[in-house]
Amino acid sequence: MDNYPVLIVVAPLLAALFSGLAVWIEERLSYPIALTGLAISVFSAFNVLLQVITSGPIQYRMAGWAPPMGIEYRIDLLNAMVLLLVSSIGFLNLVASYKSVKQEIYDRAPSFYIVYLLFMTGLLGVTATGDLFNLYVLIEITSLTSYAMVALGDRDRGPLASLNYVFIGVIGASFYLLGVGYLYMQTGSLNMADVAHILQSHQESSIVLTAFILCIIGLWIKMAFFPMHVWLPNAYSYSPVAFARVVAPLMTKVMVYVMIRLMITVFGLDYIFKSPFLADAVVWLASIAIIFGAVMALAQKNLKKMLAYIIVCEIGYMVGGAWMGNQLGMTGAILHILNDALMTFAMFLAVGNIVYKLKDVELFNLTGLFGKMPWTMAGFVLAAFSIIGVPPTCGFFSKWYLILGAFEKGAYHFAAALVISSLICAVLFFRVFEICFFPPISEDSGHKKSHSPVVMAEAPVSMLIVSGLVSLSLIVVGLYSGTIVNTIIIPFLK
Amino acid sequence: MKFLGVIIVCLTGGLLLYGTTDFPDWGDPSSPASTHLSDYYIEKTIEDTKVPNIVTSVLADYRGFDTMFETAVIFTAGLACFILLRDFRGKKERFYRHKPTGVVLHVKDGKKTLTVGKEFEHMDKDWVPSDLIIKTVCRILIPFIQIYAMYVVAHGDFSPGGGFQGGVIFGSSLILLAISYDLKTLVNRIKEKVLGIFAALGVLIFVGIAAICMPMGGNFLDYTALAPLVWDPHHVRALGMLGVEIGVGFAVMAVMAIIYINIVSEGRHDEGL
Repeated sequence: MDNYPVLIVVAPLLAALFSGLAVWIEERLSYPIALTGLAISVFSAFNVLLQVITSGPIQYRMAGWAPPMGIEYRIDLLNAMVLLLVSSIGFLNLVASYKSVKQEIYDRAPSFYIVYLLFMTGLLGVTATGDLFNLYVLIEITSLTSYAMVALGDRDRGPLASLNYVFIGVIGASFYLLGVGYLYMQTGSLNMADVAHILQSHQESSIVLTAFILCIIGLWIKMAFFPMHVWLPNAYSYSPVAFARVVAPLMTKVMVYVMIRLMITVFGLDYIFKSPFLADAVVWLASIAIIFGAVMALAQKNLKKMLAYIIVCEIGYMVGGAWMGNQLGMTGAILHILNDALMTFAMFLAVGNIVYKLKDVELFNLTGLFGKMPWTMAGFVLAAFSIIGVPPTCGFFSKWYLILGAFEKGAYHFAAALVISSLICAVLFFRVFEICFFPPISEDSGHKKSHSPVVMAEAPVSMLIVSGLVSLSLIVVGLYSGTIVNTIIIPFLK
Repeated sequence: MKFLGVIIVCLTGGLLLYGTTDFPDWGDPSSPASTHLSDYYIEKTIEDTKVPNIVTSVLADYRGFDTMFETAVIFTAGLACFILLRDFRGKKERFYRHKPTGVVLHVKDGKKTLTVGKEFEHMDKDWVPSDLIIKTVCRILIPFIQIYAMYVVAHGDFSPGGGFQGGVIFGSSLILLAISYDLKTLVNRIKEKVLGIFAALGVLIFVGIAAICMPMGGNFLDYTALAPLVWDPHHVRALGMLGVEIGVGFAVMAVMAIIYINIVSEGRHDEGL
């Protein structure tokens, strides 16, 4: 079937609308409908990836109009990989979410699934599209749904976190839209390939430079790159777990993808790296972001907040790698989109299981978790190793490429920041392990301190299976890093 | 912090000013924006789509995919209002007025169920005596506003208008009903369930029409594939656009009302404004 590219995006949208109807007729239907929609999406994404690997990029014309007139989906190796990643994480998280949604937002669970599906539609659409304005519309859907979701989380602090997110997010989206407007003024077109073609003859124009800066700053705000990150930690830690698990790995990563897409496909790497000053400044900023994120993570007392700051740090890796200006750095950045999405997802799945049992994840409350939830903690340890960058897990390989890229460019400060942040992550996670390893000391035993018996109380099986699967995939993806780089990333960059 | 803000504002302003140096002249007919694609749309729209309104054809056909997601954005906005504000708990205190005598019953315990006969009416806390002039004028106006809304939706292919505008006009007629009478009149007349279904159904009409094109052998949104289904295959694109506009109209109308009702009554759907 030739319609797979559009089915990836439209299947969740249709599912959202059908569950929108089902909510009023038979509430219980909305979960299976959501599951079906995302399953179709995963299946289509898988087919598209196979097709792209075997027979090159796919172009899909909406309404049959030729590209500059109509909107087109242009799916190459990079999109196809990110599409499969996004849709499968969305699907797996939905499988794991049934119980936790029931527990957390019992009274409006069916509506939760609708918003969730719309959020996935937005992310998938952003990834698949080959049109600058279409991308903006879908960013709008993604943002709007995440504002709603964040406000739905923590009853006290969720709404305020969401309000901050709304203000900053709207500014980010406006910057991007303004940039697209400037591009339209210079080119008269919105199709990425067409714009890129026209821009070839306007390299010196001040409009193009302004457009570029506006678009990139808008995306940086959306991806929470260092000075614009203030909305992220609160927004992610106060949202409902079922949503945090999907927004934390995907939202920022998809925005990094958009940045790379603009850099490579629309403006062209030659244009961006014409003057070394800009790229150098961004790499410096990225190094600061990495150190800042790691140090702030060290200062947190809440597990969710700590992970949120680690995301700020990881964004620094990807932006720095992409702006390194050489193939190794870009390879590292793209590989890190995949790896970081997977390991953040694995991490948040484990945290989700803990929240399901413990309700809150203040670090001092986590005592004795290894005994209580051994399987969850196994997943947690794997994800932590991957974030630190221990060799067989996937996190190591993308960091390796990033460091090689930094050495090739001579950006030793970036390499140093990367190593230091990895060490800080190691300290961070071993501190958590230490707290979790020892059972709580019982209060009533007087001067004779004895350990209270630990009873195993694991999260539901559906959550454990997903968590285990994703954690194992960290090792599998790590072992096959070479294959991924050689079949997807290198051919894409050529 | 304020100082930092001033610096950022100045930098952004400077960037925007710098960008203007290469701007094409004001209204320049040879600027890229008015030459690259506009010519094609102006010359070919009628030939391609049989729709005399170029704006509609760009909106609902050439770039219909964007419009579909814009409709989804509106649906999301309504849904977000519903999911965040809707409060199913009853009001703390209630007031009933005995119609023949004007005596007001004040029920302080909100949990207590009270069955009142038809002679009592449930009234707002800040009850204002109804104004005969306002009510009558609005009662006369509302049907005409609604007919005009439908005209705007149906006529989008030929003149300025379309689903968004028509939907907003229809929605505002509902809001006018709520303002001139009271919120309960609107909520009793159009149930929450109906509004919810209409919001989803409207977007579903759009996406459904677009999706049916795929099994019929066309690309997504390619209305020409629907030719066997309609009575006038020559104008199939125009008819497709009309169908889509109707869907947009439904969604916008329902979402306007949902947002108004939820915000005004703080999600309780009992009284407001």
